[in-house]
This record gives sequence, structure tokens and C-alpha cells, in this order.
Amino acid sequence: MFAPVDPDKLRLALEAIFGSRRVSLRLLDRQTYARDMWPRLLLARRQGEAPAHVPNAVVWPEHVREVAAVVKLARELRVPVIPYGGGSGVCGGVIPLFGGITIDLKRMRELRSVSGEDLICDVDAGMNGERFERELAHRGYTFGHFPSSIYCSTVGGWLATRAAGQLSTKYGKVEDRAAGLTVVTGKGEIIETDGPNRALRGPNWTQLLVGSEGTLGIITSARLRVAPAPQLRVYRGFELPDVATGIIALRRVLQRGLRPAVLRLYDELDTFLASMGHKSDKESDEDTARYAGASAATGDFASAPLPPVDGGALPSWPVPEPSERGGWMSRLVTLARDEGARKRLMKSASRAAQNAALSRGSMANRLFGAAATTAHRGCRLIVGLEGSRIRTEVEAQLTFAELEAAGAKDRGEEPGLAWLAHRYAVSYRMSPIFRDGAFVDTMEVASSWDRLLDLYHAVRGALAPHAVVMAHLSHAYADGCSIYFTFAASVEGARNAERVYDAIWKDGMEAATRVGGTISHHHGVGLLKAPYMAAEHREAMAIFRGAKAALDPDGILNPGKMGLVASRKEAP
Amino acid sequence: MSPFTTAAFEAALARAVDAEHVAVKGGVFPAFHVAPASAAEICEVVVACREHRVPLHPAGVGGRPSYAPDDRPRVVLATRRLAQVVQLDETSLLVEAQAGLGGLELERILARRGLSVGDYPPVVLSSTLGGILAVRTPGKSSARHGFFEDAVVAVSAVLANGRLVHTRLAPRRATGPDLARALCGSEGIIGIITSAVLRVHRKPEARFLGAYLLPSIDAAVSAVLLALREEVMPSGLRIYDSEEAGAHFEGLVLPEGQALLVAGTAGPTDLAACDRDLLGSAVVAEGGGETDLGLAELWWRRLHAGEPTPAPAPALQVMARPSRLRAVYAAVKAAAAIAGAAARAHISRFDVDGAVVFFTFCRDGHVLLAADAGALVASCAAAADTAGGWLLGARATKLDSYLLALKRAVDPDGIMNPGVLG
Repeated sequence: MFAPVDPDKLRLALEAIFGSRRVSLRLLDRQTYARDMWPRLLLARRQGEAPAHVPNAVVWPEHVREVAAVVKLARELRVPVIPYGGGSGVCGGVIPLFGGITIDLKRMRELRSVSGEDLICDVDAGMNGERFERELAHRGYTFGHFPSSIYCSTVGGWLATRAAGQLSTKYGKVEDRAAGLTVVTGKGEIIETDGPNRALRGPNWTQLLVGSEGTLGIITSARLRVAPAPQLRVYRGFELPDVATGIIALRRVLQRGLRPAVLRLYDELDTFLASMGHKSDKESDEDTARYAGASAATGDFASAPLPPVDGGALPSWPVPEPSERGGWMSRLVTLARDEGARKRLMKSASRAAQNAALSRGSMANRLFGAAATTAHRGCRLIVGLEGSRIRTEVEAQLTFAELEAAGAKDRGEEPGLAWLAHRYAVSYRMSPIFRDGAFVDTMEVASSWDRLLDLYHAVRGALAPHAVVMAHLSHAYADGCSIYFTFAASVEGARNAERVYDAIWKDGMEAATRVGGTISHHHGVGLLKAPYMAAEHREAMAIFRGAKAALDPDGILNPGKMGLVASRKEAP
Repeated sequence: MSPFTTAAFEAALARAVDAEHVAVKGGVFPAFHVAPASAAEICEVVVACREHRVPLHPAGVGGRPSYAPDDRPRVVLATRRLAQVVQLDETSLLVEAQAGLGGLELERILARRGLSVGDYPPVVLSSTLGGILAVRTPGKSSARHGFFEDAVVAVSAVLANGRLVHTRLAPRRATGPDLARALCGSEGIIGIITSAVLRVHRKPEARFLGAYLLPSIDAAVSAVLLALREEVMPSGLRIYDSEEAGAHFEGLVLPEGQALLVAGTAGPTDLAACDRDLLGSAVVAEGGGETDLGLAELWWRRLHAGEPTPAPAPALQVMARPSRLRAVYAAVKAAAAIAGAAARAHISRFDVDGAVVFFTFCRDGHVLLAADAGALVASCAAAADTAGGWLLGARATKLDSYLLALKRAVDPDGIMNPGVLG
């Protein structure tokens, strides 16, 4: 299918496009671009194994014409091209299964324009998420997309994977904010999907290309909808007796036509672990103070006035956990949120005992479950609203009243502000768990409301025999919601760990599709979920394959991904 | 492939949908009108068409297919017998309805349960659901509920291989492209939509109307954009220039250059009132003020209660981004004046992409019908295009090679509604 690569010939051809400084065939660069943050890859890496698949070359384009030129070259040479953004994906979407040319888009990184009247901006795909949001904030706007990877992901990566940010309930997922794309197709042609192409007759090309993970085209820039920077931000914590009551409460809020920015319901175990890490008063005062600014809470409910410049959207850089004694169990607690966790955590549990428990997920789940039930803390709900001052105040009052009518108990603003202060930290707390010999990953599924509780129990039940499982519900819509499972296990040996890891995903994905859920809400498919795409889309995959044939007739764009053709097993 | 004979093909269709639902019209190149009653029957019709290489044209309301005259036999597939609500999920607020069900009929069925597909102008809903989804135009949207196709959660369709596909139902997903979007807007060339799952909404707790006078069209547009920036989500908005206001509201005389703005807000009572007040504040900020509420009430009754709207229909409809609305309006007024005519307009169908400007032309005090003013409309359309507007019903052709390649991939024999979309 693909031609063998002559490195010297490839180098010469690439240097003709990029010059010598923006092309690399060095092994170190090729290995660096061989992977993303897929936890399965970390298992082998922990053992010091080199990546199984590396690209033949890495290039750094600065203009869409260079991207088009390299795709045309790849077509001629019959080698794959793989677009690469921040490398923060968690599904192995950038692994060069068949080698080829990896295109790092991060040198295409400008916010080109913002039209205040149209509320549209024009931004390059390689722009870093944090920089994007800060530059918009300087001009008085927000994109409203705040994934926990915002520091290390790119706009193009978001679009390629249909990503979601933490405030998606108000602002929508990234596909809801995409007005148009500039894309280089597999034929090396540059197409634009906005303007008349979006508004007039014919299918919506933007929605056909968003989420295609580099298999239909390489997104090089986008016209995205922005919103005026929020004038007011209101956060609260609530408590609900259980997940089922919580689901009804969320649904009532959304179906009443209210759009909080954040609605996050933590299940009993997640709530329990978070509560074990509950801060001292001093710590939480410090967090709150960072957000409180000059004016204190006003009106009938507490508000979080905004710090300068970035509207408080981006707190200071999250610090990774230092390596210290305590074991994975304490890490898991910190995953659930707070800093002070380890101090109060079952000091008596030795690391060996913890690992023994984690190696038997069902036992650990029962243990934790019993503790959570005894502690009787119910389910924590974080609610946040933001936007224009008057409307947000009205909407907040209506939202809080609706939640209380649905049986939620108001716990004041402190839990909300604590979440706001630490909301990016979770992604940076995963590596210490790997260092401790365990592994952790997340599974984000979604369904309509009518089957959401079934989905929760089905996936939880499928994962529980293998791993400790906790979950929260976030990204709520009028018609349904996503569930975000976090699971951790400890297995001796990289191969055994991979086997258990694969079994967890297989059981989880099958359970999700069996009850009518989707296999991914916002992490994407990549290599990880490719085997489940047939169950996800069934015969409709014919349309995806048709789009592939139309946009990438030679099959050079990110081959082997998304269940389109060759699977991982067929890779060389 | 079997050799084509009218009798053999008619028999094949009769096996698919029963003889009484097959009618043959025309002579040398007959049109076979079929009316299947289920998705399974459509599959069989498609298989028969494929077997005999006969093109298939879906037709919604009135059985008017969207094909160019052809020189070979063809099948016209009416969806009128697929006109049921398949399922109503009141927990998730989703309705699955068949393609042949009229949008207004669906709205009547939902209304009995206190539900609605959303604040769309009834004219948008006057087609069948299949027609609304298959043909994409910018006017099919609302400021409160977005583009109509954004309400689509899943679509079922028959592809050229005779297989029925269902795109997956989920509130959102990250599992590749939104495959339903290949079927919506593609006018039947990728697949024939048999049913769709749509998001529906509870009837709002409260509705408020408002009518405002502003010193100019520019001020009225600015007031609306200001309110939208404040996150107001109106259920309807319309701006009339002074001439259009006079023509639409008997006895209303506005000083030349002024504009009338009518608006509706809806939702939880406090929020709907808040939106109304924010809109009123935006009007004041732009130098305007409230006027006779009766004007807004009449506008709303015309939209939603069947009260007759002044004829004739506008001769030119132009979509424009928010920032181009004023320029498009001014350009068409100027172009009409050069041609010795007068243009009047209202601006409506506001959404995140902008709005649609509806122009009516007059000469010597008489309204010109679109059919009688071809040259005038063409020169005004060109002016609108130069000013950054997009003509409704027009088509961008730049991506046609990809659309046709997609069609070839899923419909290698080219039987699915050939001749439309490039």
C-alpha cells in the first residue's frame, strides 16, 4: 500500500519545501513525534521500551501552502502524512502506524483577526489553547473552551477530535463553535468550508471535517465563534443524595432552558475521595481569595468577581505532584481534586497493601463503596454560571431554585470556587500514579437522558472487576449528558498491564454501546477506540468511508485510525 | 443488470410497494411514481432502481421532485405515506418522526404534549420533515433554537446499496465526522432520509412582545446586535424600514429613514422578561424607544396564528453576516434607485450567522413582482453580492468535486437524485 522510503530522497524533497531548518529525520525527533499521551503507550514507556512506530520525518510548516505541498509530495511518494498538534491526545491518534511524514502545525500559531460584530475569529490550527484564550481575553472575548489540556493542546487538535471544554454546557463543544475551516485534503488541495459553503445549499462540510482526526483532511485554520468575555461569574456547590436524583436535577435545569457554564455531578465514590482531600480552611481561603478580587460577594448570592486580563479563565500554571511516599491510593484521591488529600489519607495503608487492593479492582471498589456509603456524603454537584451581568444573575437564581426544587442542598460558594481554582490540575496528577507502578485512564461516554442511569451502571459494572472506578457527570445538554469515568489499576509487568488495560476498554466500550451510549464524548477515537467504531456507527460507516474515498483517495492521511481501514493488528 | 422494460420494472416496483402505489406517467421515458409505506419498502425500491439503473428522485409535499428533465425513465418517490411520529421520548425531549410528516403537522402533534420543535417561522415548517432536512437554506434557523439541522440528533436513510442506515443517537459525540450532516442538505444524492430524531422543547413558560421605533435602519441593526451580544435569545426579531412598515401595517406612517423593530422573547418568565428589558435598553442606547405594542402583536399573529401577511412575497432575499447587514441594505437601495425603482425591506431570521434581508421593489408607486422585474432584481442581487451578501437558494460550487466524489463512492451507479447539486 505504501512505498518504502529512501531517507536521503525524502530529505531532499522535504528541504525543497521547508528549507533545512524545518525538516528533521533525526531519530530523537522521530521518536518524540511517535506518540501522544495515550496511557497505554506510557505502560511500555515506563519499561524503557522505544516506540513501535516512528515517522520517517518530521516537518514544521508555517503556511497552508507548505502543508498542501507536503501532502502533494506524500501522494507522489506514496507515504502517509500525520498531522500533529500539542500531542496531548489520549487515544493514540498521532501514532505513525505506517511511518510517513509527521506534520507539526505548531508554527502556524496566529490569531489572525477577531470580528466583534460577527463574534467570529480567524485562528491558525497550531495555536496553543492557553495563548489563544489569553489573546482573546486581551481583546475582550472568550472562546469558552477550557479543556484541562488547555496548556498543552492546540486549536487544530480540538477541532480534529471534537473536543469539549469544562464550560461546554454554556458554550458548547468545539464543533458547536466552528463556523468554518481551512483544510488541506488528501489531494493536496486547500478548501474552505465557511462563507457560502456553510450557509447555502449542500451538506455542511464543516461538520463533516470536524472530528475526522486527520483522516479526511488537515485543518490549518478555522473561523470560530467567540463570545464577549464574561462580566460575571457565579459558582456554587450543591449536594444530592445519589446519582439518580442528581441526574434528574441536571435534566430539570437544562430542559427548563437554563444554560449554566458548569454542571458537574460527582458520584458517591468520587465525592467521598474528594472529601477525604478536603482542604483546611486556610487553604480554601487562599483559593477563594485568588478569585475574589476587590469587590466581595454581592446580591443575594455569592459571586466571583473577575481577576484582571484573562477573566480568571486561566489560573496559574498547575504544578505536577512531587514524587513522594504515599502510593497510588493517595494519588487517586488527589485526582478527585484537592491538594491536602494525602495528609489525611489512610496513613496506615502501606503501598504494598494498596497495590494489592488495586490489583483486585472489584475488592477495592467494594471497599471504597462501603466507606463512601458509611460516610454518607451523597453526591457533590458543582454549578457555575458566567456571562453578561444582568442575565447571568437572573439565570443563576433560576438555576439554584430549580436545583433545590429537585432535592439538591446548597453548600455555598466554597466548593464551587475550590473547583474553579483547581480545575486544570487533574491532568498533571496522572504521571505520579504511573511512577508508582499503577495506571490510570479516563473513559468519557454519553447518552440521552432516558438511558443515562443505565449507561452509568453498565459501564461502571464493566470496569469494576478490573479497576477502581469513579465517575462524574459533566457536559450536560437538554437531551442528554456525558459521563466521565476515571479508573485505576495496578498490574505487574508491562504486557500484563496492557492486557488488563485492553480488557477494561473492551468491556467498557461494549457495555456503553449495548445500552445505547456513544463510545466517546470528547476524547476522540484514534487507535484506542478504532475497534469499536463498527459498533458505534454500524452501516453508517459506509458514509464515513465514502467521505474518505472522496477527500483522501490514496488513503495517505493518518492511515489505520478510526476503524476506517487497517486496524492496529494489521499494522506492520 | 436486467434489460429495461417498462412492464418488468413496473412489476419490480409493485413487488416493493404494492401495485396500487405505483403509477406510470408519460410515454417513451416514463416516470414511475411510487409511494412506499416504510423504510423497508424504500430499500426495495432502491434495489429495483439499482438493478435497472433507473434514477430515483425523492419528493416531499406536493410530490414535486427536484430533478432536471431527463431523457430516461425515472422513479419519483413520494414520502407521503411515511408520515408518522415513531417515538416521543419525553424524558430526553426527543422525537423520532418519519420523513413524509409535515413540519406543521409534527408541531400540532407535539403541541398537545406542550412541546414544540422550536421557535421557527411556520413557513420553514411548511415542508415535509425530509424536505426541510434535505434542502439547506439559511432562513431555516432561529435566534433562540439555532439552525434547524442543529436540532437533528440522528437520521435514518436508505443508501444506494439498498441498505438502511441509522446514525447514532447521542447528545454529542467525538467519534468522527457527524455522518448525519452528509445526509442533511445533500438533497437526496447521498441517501434518502426516511426518519430523523429531533430535539424538541417545552412550550415556554412566558412570552413577551415588544415594538420599538429607531432613528434609522443602521440604529435598529446596531440595537439588535448589541442585545445579542448581551446574550439575549429572542424567539423572533424583525426590522422594517419606514416604507416596508407602512406597507405592512395599515395606517402606520413613519418619517423616512426611521425603522420599526418588533421582537418576541420567551422562556422561564424571569429570563424572558430580562431578555425583553435588555432589548429595550439596547434600543434606548441606539436612540430609539418603545412604540405601539399592537404592531408586534399583529406581526406575531401573522407569523404564528395564520393572520394573512401582506402580498406579494419579497422579490429578493439576501443573507448577510451581522457586520454586512447594513451594507447589503444600503447597496440594494442604491442599486434600485439607479434603475429608477424603490426598494423597501425587512430584516428577519436572525441567528449566529447573521440575518436575511427581504427586499420588495416598487416603481411609480406599484409593487413589482419578481417575475416582472428580472433585470432590476439581477442588478440588485449583484449589488448585494458585492456588499458581502449571499443570495438565498444560491449554491456555492467550489466543493462540488468533493461532493460528487462522495456521491460516486456511496452511489457508484448514480441513481440517487442525479442532476441536483452539481
